[in-house]
Amino acid sequence: MSEKLIFALPSKGRLMQQCAEALARAGLSVTKSGAARGYRGEIAELPDVEVNFVSSSEIARFLQHGTAHLGITGEDLVRETIADCAQRVSFLKPCGFGHADVVVAVPICWIDVSNMADLEETSQVYWRVHGRPIRVASKYMNLTRRFFAQRGVTGYRIVPSLGATEGAPAADLSEIIVDITTTGATLKANGLKVLEDGVILRSQANLIASKLAPWSRRARRAKAAILERLSAGPGAEGPPQSKR
Amino acid sequence: MIAESTQRFEALEAQAQRLMAIFTRAGYEHVAPSIIQPANMFLDVVGESLRARTYVFTDPNGDELCLRPDLTVPTCRLHLARHPQGAVPARYCYNGSAFRYQPGGDTSAHPREFRQAGVECFAASDREEADAAVLALIVEAVRAAGIATFHLRFGDLGLFRALLGALALPERWRRRLLHQFWRPEAFRAELNRLTSAEALRAPALKAEVIDRLDPSQPSTALNALEEYLEQAGLALMGTRTLPEIAERLLAAAADARETPLAAETANAIESYVAVKTPARAAVRALHQLLRQYRIDLAEPLQAFQRRLDDLDAAGVITDEAEFSAEFGRNLEYYTGFVFEIVVPELGPKSPLAGGGRYDSLLGEVGAPVDVPAVGSCIHTERLLAVLQGETA
Repeated sequence: MSEKLIFALPSKGRLMQQCAEALARAGLSVTKSGAARGYRGEIAELPDVEVNFVSSSEIARFLQHGTAHLGITGEDLVRETIADCAQRVSFLKPCGFGHADVVVAVPICWIDVSNMADLEETSQVYWRVHGRPIRVASKYMNLTRRFFAQRGVTGYRIVPSLGATEGAPAADLSEIIVDITTTGATLKANGLKVLEDGVILRSQANLIASKLAPWSRRARRAKAAILERLSAGPGAEGPPQSKR
Repeated sequence: MIAESTQRFEALEAQAQRLMAIFTRAGYEHVAPSIIQPANMFLDVVGESLRARTYVFTDPNGDELCLRPDLTVPTCRLHLARHPQGAVPARYCYNGSAFRYQPGGDTSAHPREFRQAGVECFAASDREEADAAVLALIVEAVRAAGIATFHLRFGDLGLFRALLGALALPERWRRRLLHQFWRPEAFRAELNRLTSAEALRAPALKAEVIDRLDPSQPSTALNALEEYLEQAGLALMGTRTLPEIAERLLAAAADARETPLAAETANAIESYVAVKTPARAAVRALHQLLRQYRIDLAEPLQAFQRRLDDLDAAGVITDEAEFSAEFGRNLEYYTGFVFEIVVPELGPKSPLAGGGRYDSLLGEVGAPVDVPAVGSCIHTERLLAVLQGETA
């Protein structure tokens, strides 16, 4: 039944829970179908919707290629994964959970560095002394590149980091990092501080539509129904324009 | 592009053979550096914009490798493998594939796989002579290939460095302006900051640290800084050293006490950057402009003139060449003379060939000293497209 709307939802972790709660508040009961640990599901109230449970970063890929019509995942992952984001997806509605800021953080002991311009200058001195650029540990290669280019910072190299990025500078794997933070406590515990103008993105979970998915009339109706429920349900947030 | 036709492949090969024959006849040794290059060293020396477009992969051994995004760095590595001391005169030519990710997709105008035919000239002691010889050779090759109408564009980053050297400026300001040169907005912002006493004194950095430092006594800065960090309960972390932090703080302390840049000096810099003139008239135009500001660049301008004369003697007609002081701004690794060959069929955004002087690259790739280097390459697919009348 390919013309059903494919709705990709996070398959694990806190984001999965929060999604389930938000959909329940909107009066949508999501159930897993088939085997108990299956990766497919349905929404009792909306027979035209088929749910796919996949990892948050995979949801971004699904939306990028149109494998799913709709998905809920972090804006950070979508902007990181999809280079030509505006051509491929539309952000329909921020969800009000899954908040995380993608930030540039440097060692607290770098008392001479408080903003991106300082960082650029620092990287020149660093090159002269060490014969190589400053290393930035991050899983956000594309967000980092775009942001650093906008701010005119060039003397750096990204070192891919898939976990415990905040520990990279202490382990001499990098000099600075680009990572997500909510309160900044983890960064501080690792001897790091966020640069004054170093917030790359204030991200949260979003309901996102793929522009490349095969939008049958049936799928479009299902999308409208989901959006309506999520906007009208108790605890629902206002439209995107009223946010931040 | 999924594939090229056999016909096109053969046409490119035949064209390449003709180009290489011209290069080797001129005394350039034909070399074929590896397509697969170690990622680390390579990516450290190319600018970030090229780095983001380089195909990088990990082999089964866990080593990070890349497909070369150009042939200049691989040729530098080849040279250093033969002559680790670097400063040995050598001339190389090559024709081979380079690979770049194309953000707008893989199209025939911007293919992700393309061939560069070019030359590199290392450790030639007379820089202007070498600059002129390389450009003359590329022009000869382009003409021999069948291009009759083209336009030359010149820039000279060495002139800008000479201008900064002739102005009364603290060395750290020179370094900063030179570094920002290729980013017009940041450059202007820095110039504005340097002319404003208020901006120079703005407590961009912790005033309480700055106040403890005496720029005239740099040796005491380390102790003062160490003391401060200890009192603040901050431990040094990572690879960046205390002297590096001290250097920047001392510079800020010195800036706060410095007399701002005279408005006249800032004007001189801005007027220079705005110069755009036929190359033949450039020397006189720059003399006149700089005389107003009582700046004397006699020597570098003589060198500029000598390069033009050499080009004329080699049969490159420079009458219609254009000099722009700004040209070369966007090409970070060049350090001196830069040029492009533009044809009407393709327009200025897709030059047929380009090149210039890059005196610090060999040092960055591993030579123990900086080695003078100048090179150029032809975009062979573009050349063929123009010759076959395929351009829209």
